[in-house]
Amino acid sequence: MSENTLIGKPEIRVDAWPKVTGQAEYVADFSLEDVHFGYIVRSPHPHASIRRIDPFKTLQMEGVLDVITIEDVPGEKMVGDIIPDRPVLAWEKVRLVGEPIAIVVAISKHIAEQGGKAVEVEYQPLVPVFDPVQALEEGAPRVHASGNLVSHIEVQDGDTQAGFQQADMILEETFHVPRIYPGYLEPEAAQAQWNPDGSLTVWVSSQKPFHDRHLICQALALPEEKVIVRVATVGGAFGGKEDSSLAILAALAAWKTKTTVRLVNTREESLLAHPKRHSGQVHYKAGFKKDGTLVAMQITSYLDTGAYASYGPAVGQLHSEVLGGPYKVPNVRVDTYVVYTNSPIAGAMRGFGAPQANFGTESLMDIAAGKLGIHPIELRRKNIWRPGDRSYTRVRINQAESLQLSLDVAEKEYWRLKNIPPAPGKVSGVGLSLSVQTMGLGYRVPDDSAHALEWLPDGRVRLYLGAPELGQGLMTVAAQITADALGLSLNQIEIALLDTSQVPDGGVSCASRMTYSVGNAAMTASRQLIQALIKEAARLLDIEPALLHYEKGHIIRQDRPDLAPIPASEITSRLAENGQILKRQAVFSFPYGPETPDHLPIGMPHVLFCFGAHVIRVEVDVELGTVEPKEIVAIHDVGKIINRATLEGQVEGAISMGLGYALLEEMKLKPDGTWVDNLTEYLLPTIMDMPPVIKVIFLEVPEESGPHGAKGIGEMGLTPVASAVANAIYDATGVRVKAIPIRPEMIIKEK
Amino acid sequence: MQLIQVSLKVNGKKYQLETPPNRTLLEVLREDLRLTAAKDGCSSGECGACTVLMDGKAVNSCLVLIGSADGHSIETVEGLHKTGAPHPLQKAFVEKGAVQCGFCTPGVLMAAKALLDQNPDPDEEQIRMALAGNLCRCTGYTKIIEAVQEAAKELHHE
Repeated sequence: MSENTLIGKPEIRVDAWPKVTGQAEYVADFSLEDVHFGYIVRSPHPHASIRRIDPFKTLQMEGVLDVITIEDVPGEKMVGDIIPDRPVLAWEKVRLVGEPIAIVVAISKHIAEQGGKAVEVEYQPLVPVFDPVQALEEGAPRVHASGNLVSHIEVQDGDTQAGFQQADMILEETFHVPRIYPGYLEPEAAQAQWNPDGSLTVWVSSQKPFHDRHLICQALALPEEKVIVRVATVGGAFGGKEDSSLAILAALAAWKTKTTVRLVNTREESLLAHPKRHSGQVHYKAGFKKDGTLVAMQITSYLDTGAYASYGPAVGQLHSEVLGGPYKVPNVRVDTYVVYTNSPIAGAMRGFGAPQANFGTESLMDIAAGKLGIHPIELRRKNIWRPGDRSYTRVRINQAESLQLSLDVAEKEYWRLKNIPPAPGKVSGVGLSLSVQTMGLGYRVPDDSAHALEWLPDGRVRLYLGAPELGQGLMTVAAQITADALGLSLNQIEIALLDTSQVPDGGVSCASRMTYSVGNAAMTASRQLIQALIKEAARLLDIEPALLHYEKGHIIRQDRPDLAPIPASEITSRLAENGQILKRQAVFSFPYGPETPDHLPIGMPHVLFCFGAHVIRVEVDVELGTVEPKEIVAIHDVGKIINRATLEGQVEGAISMGLGYALLEEMKLKPDGTWVDNLTEYLLPTIMDMPPVIKVIFLEVPEESGPHGAKGIGEMGLTPVASAVANAIYDATGVRVKAIPIRPEMIIKEK
Repeated sequence: MQLIQVSLKVNGKKYQLETPPNRTLLEVLREDLRLTAAKDGCSSGECGACTVLMDGKAVNSCLVLIGSADGHSIETVEGLHKTGAPHPLQKAFVEKGAVQCGFCTPGVLMAAKALLDQNPDPDEEQIRMALAGNLCRCTGYTKIIEAVQEAAKELHHE
């Protein structure tokens, strides 16, 4: 066991200096040799037949190399993350505004754009559908020939009819949640280089380079050894960069023109054409006994996945798992419908279906508390999962005790905030919500994460991290855990470029799984690397390995304590002289125990949960309807703090994203039939929107399967924000909002 | 299109350029001078990732047509540590954890520098006002505010 020298230390981020000096290179910051510029011709219609695509005029233009359409795709013409429902380039019809139809490749950005505007596309507009409930009605416009229902997820536990019969109060409520934009500051970008041996090198800004490679190979009918994907510095992702479309299009353009092609999206393209968070509506029927005991829930949810499924079916599943909140519900029926419409595509986004569920469920708990005359905190305390409880997906809840702890801490904060008087002319209120977020990809989805370590001749250790840093601090946390496990200092760890031909497959950077998975793999690989070092040292010294002991980068001879410890570099440099390298790879597979129920679809159930609570104090101007969050207390059980600064950064960032969800953001269809496509109309929270006080409290209830007890934090800081804001507004004004974003007129109108 | 002659002083160094007039300062910095710290996040002055200093004032370089930068002095993040030592803002951003994905960071740093050059002792509200045009989706701004406060403190000691 190594000493815990680095775990929990506020080490500075390993990628911070390059980022503050401008040296960090994002895909758009460099140009590969002899680069050409691509322009994507996109659909102006939400739904239309394509009658004709005519690139003739463009092809006559000087400086234009080629115009690429679906006919140029040699492999699969339809690809997808779960369902292969999305054309690489549209033909026959378009299903959303911004859908790619052709790529113009030219010698300059300007010529490519001019060429793109000269491509003639003749459309026959079709009636679009934008509402998931309408899309399921008979006679609704068909987005796909297969029908508009992508998936129907059913969860049944107990007997809801019998449950409602036991209830003293039955509550029925409907909540609406908006489509929102991940809003990473770096728009999508890719550069692809065709190599004379027929292979491709593709630079991406991505969460999933190995999936990108797989999808590129599918579309281009290439074997995987012919495609190398490299990840540049990623300028934020939040789930939105689990979309491979730009990487595929860049690869296709490079392959077809046998050149190097650069594609960089504008903000407008990013807003229109890349995945969002699902909008939807959730209907609840919930039965309570007089004493507050929750006896039955029947929930029907409609999620709008837009024109293509993306990760919609999986989002619908996770959503269905957490719709009941962190509560013991003996009788449950959940029906979630994931539906195609002609809206912008919805896919993965931080929280992955949980924020939508949380807004409904945690609002509902406060409404129920009001009707029952029980304090919202007490109603929650009555119903939360306790150790030994299982969820309605029949999973035994890990660390249910941290829910109780979160609630206890939240209660103290709640009463502290209640005592703060409002500013003159304002009313104030305090809202509380619990947060449940799952970790990992779900049962029977391959959820492995491989990483490798190499002891270099100079004594440093190179970490081959198999999944991308997105800005969340993965590289730092992985380096910290590795350095700690090897007894080295952080600056003795270097991180290899993420190149799919050089690093093992670490899976997708997503699902609050990275610290947990990477940390575990890094610890295993470290142990193996130390054993390998001892073995090589024994061989070189020609003694028994048992006589050697490893400590802090050195080998110590136990039979000769008088000799100076041998630095690892002495062994690895000797190996290097013989052309040998010392490298070990470890895979961590997400654990699913023998108890895991297998009657649910692939990806269900999740078996590890993260818990927390948020308490938010708002001030409301009842005449103007404006809401100002004044203080947010975020309480999260993280198992074990690896790096406090990066953890706090995750929570603070998630809170701002949650406030945007609650109060500002909506990817809206305007009355003129166009979508919001710029950041003047689509409002991301600015520094002025953040409350004066954000207090982050971490609980450390160790997760026994986690590295040093750590678990995920990436998503759960966002999940409870919107409901806590809505609950605070109710506390302040008596107005119950059942839709987000909460706009001033919703508060004034109700008053 | 007729080319125009432009002279710029960027991070203390003089440049003479010939360029079509319909380009922005951001494009010239990134494409011609290969100074890519300033980022293109929206091309329309909404996000602040392209913020640089023009004669000491923070501007969105994506909104400055290159002709109107003629004869002016520009500062970018590449010039912040030109004396060898990092600027106190850079140090504070690193130490306070104010950097996540880093895409907004160069713009935020320059907007913060414009503030501290003008007002060495800003209060929190003044910091917020100065950075109101710089979007950050990762940090929630908390650590950015702390870092600017820390840098101001350090500049006082110097």
